[in-house]
Amino acid sequence: MGIQNNSAIPASQITRLHELVYELEISQVMTREVITVTPQTSMTEVREILQRHRISGIPVLEHGELVGIISIEDLIKALAGGEMDARVGEKMTPNPIVLSANEPLVLSVDYFNRYGFGRFPIVNEQGKMVGILTPSDVTQGLLKKLEVEYHEEEIRRYRASHIFEDVISDHTSIFLHYIIASRDFKQAGAASRNIKRTLTHLGIPRPIIRRAAIATYEAEINIIIHTDDFGGLITAEIRPDAIIIGALDLGPGIADVEQAKRRGFSTAPDWIREMGFGAGMGLTNIEKCADEMYLESPFGSRTTLRVTIYMDEHLPIGRREA
Amino acid sequence: MKFREIIAIVKGELITKIAKLDMDVTHISAADLMSDVLAFAEPESILLTGLCNPQVVCTAEMADIVAIIFVRDKKPPPETISLAEEERIPLVSTPYSMFEACGCLYQAGLRDIHIPDE
Amino acid sequence: MTNDQTGPLISEKGPVMKLETLARQLGLTVHAGRDALDREVTSGYAADLLSCAMAKARAGSVWVTLQGHSNIVAVASLTEAAGIIITEGVQPDDATINKAQEEGVPILTTELTTFTVVGRLYELGVPGVESLDE
Repeated sequence: MGIQNNSAIPASQITRLHELVYELEISQVMTREVITVTPQTSMTEVREILQRHRISGIPVLEHGELVGIISIEDLIKALAGGEMDARVGEKMTPNPIVLSANEPLVLSVDYFNRYGFGRFPIVNEQGKMVGILTPSDVTQGLLKKLEVEYHEEEIRRYRASHIFEDVISDHTSIFLHYIIASRDFKQAGAASRNIKRTLTHLGIPRPIIRRAAIATYEAEINIIIHTDDFGGLITAEIRPDAIIIGALDLGPGIADVEQAKRRGFSTAPDWIREMGFGAGMGLTNIEKCADEMYLESPFGSRTTLRVTIYMDEHLPIGRREA
Repeated sequence: MKFREIIAIVKGELITKIAKLDMDVTHISAADLMSDVLAFAEPESILLTGLCNPQVVCTAEMADIVAIIFVRDKKPPPETISLAEEERIPLVSTPYSMFEACGCLYQAGLRDIHIPDE
Repeated sequence: MTNDQTGPLISEKGPVMKLETLARQLGLTVHAGRDALDREVTSGYAADLLSCAMAKARAGSVWVTLQGHSNIVAVASLTEAAGIIITEGVQPDDATINKAQEEGVPILTTELTTFTVVGRLYELGVPGVESLDE
């Protein structure tokens, strides 16, 4: 399946397929309706069942408990030995190796490679059989999931990247607007993550997105740490030629802007420092990411921060490589 | 070096459903200050940190960090794990301290290539 | 390795070094505490959070951090750390240097990152503080 290969894969090229074998659970791809036989079933009947359903193995249940598995190989042996009147109980492989329904799919890939069996019964936490898994279930499950995701992503990308082409105006831009609550560390980063996601869907080059994301995140954290009760606003204007990030709050303002820009200067309280912020690098970082930065913050009043990041070349966004 | 080899070197334990074990990693950043990560971490590097709050994941996402290793056996809270799974960033917990984890990985040949410009 | 040895400490990886030697080997710049550079470094600790350093750093530890503000001196002094290495070109401010001079805490700086400094210290045989507990 190409999953176990050992060649180097950089993070950006880890395929969705690689991720999916770890993310999907066996229960999500197994066959739930399982045809079963009992130890008393004859081998002749087994042959009919295998033929009728085009399957290669059947779990054997006794009083609802899994006791064995009977496969096409067992049938061939019985045929060769003229033992078609024998009962399943005599010919089956008892105590088959099983897999748990909540294990990741990658474990089943490993099992198929290791044991060479064509199927594994799947059991729940109580050890009761709830399904069966074949290599074809794995392949189909992965393909189905990939197809659904690809389709969703395609629609999203199509919609996003065509916005600039479909709208006719002298000047088109997308304006995103987020309200940031003061001291709300639980929500911290939500605006930045959403802006980053939108830029990604628009197919903007990754280095540009990264600069915009870092600048936004530092600005968002600053509002959360430093503002009074009212919090502030984060905006992002996405134009074909530039991204303009705005951060606006109603105070208290910055006492000394030059001092605040100095690396290492911070007025953040200790609890903020213990969270890994407030080390006095925020404005330095923002400045580093910006092509242009405008900061106005009369002490005791509102703070306005505007960061401009230009797109590499002056290409329309819709035509950029995703 | 493969992510799975790095996990083995620090005797780490994977704590997310996201694994990406086959990705190739060449750089490590070690820091507890998130602004430092935002300023200096290489895109596609792994972050070693002693902080476990969800902001670490958010920082990693912004800085294009591909995985996070928590030192000193720290187990992040559920909100950190769920955010990491949403953002597809694998999390690992190692019994080693920051010092020892850096030491082992450095000896294994991993580097950080950040050269400060000041 | 236990803590109750009295003679010159020998870690599993080799003889423990004086801070001065480490400073020379790593090309560190000394900003304060020049008189105390003959201290022996028995272990290493890396953290940027003061509370962590407070809890974990030991007497004789060299503490690697990128924090430059004056509280680091208090933490190093209380934990009797051998010295502080500030990474990534962060320059300690005057308050930090003055306080370090008063308390006799060596402050050394480097352009290298925490990861690289620790890697080099580890190569030179400085063990993590944890290994002292085992």
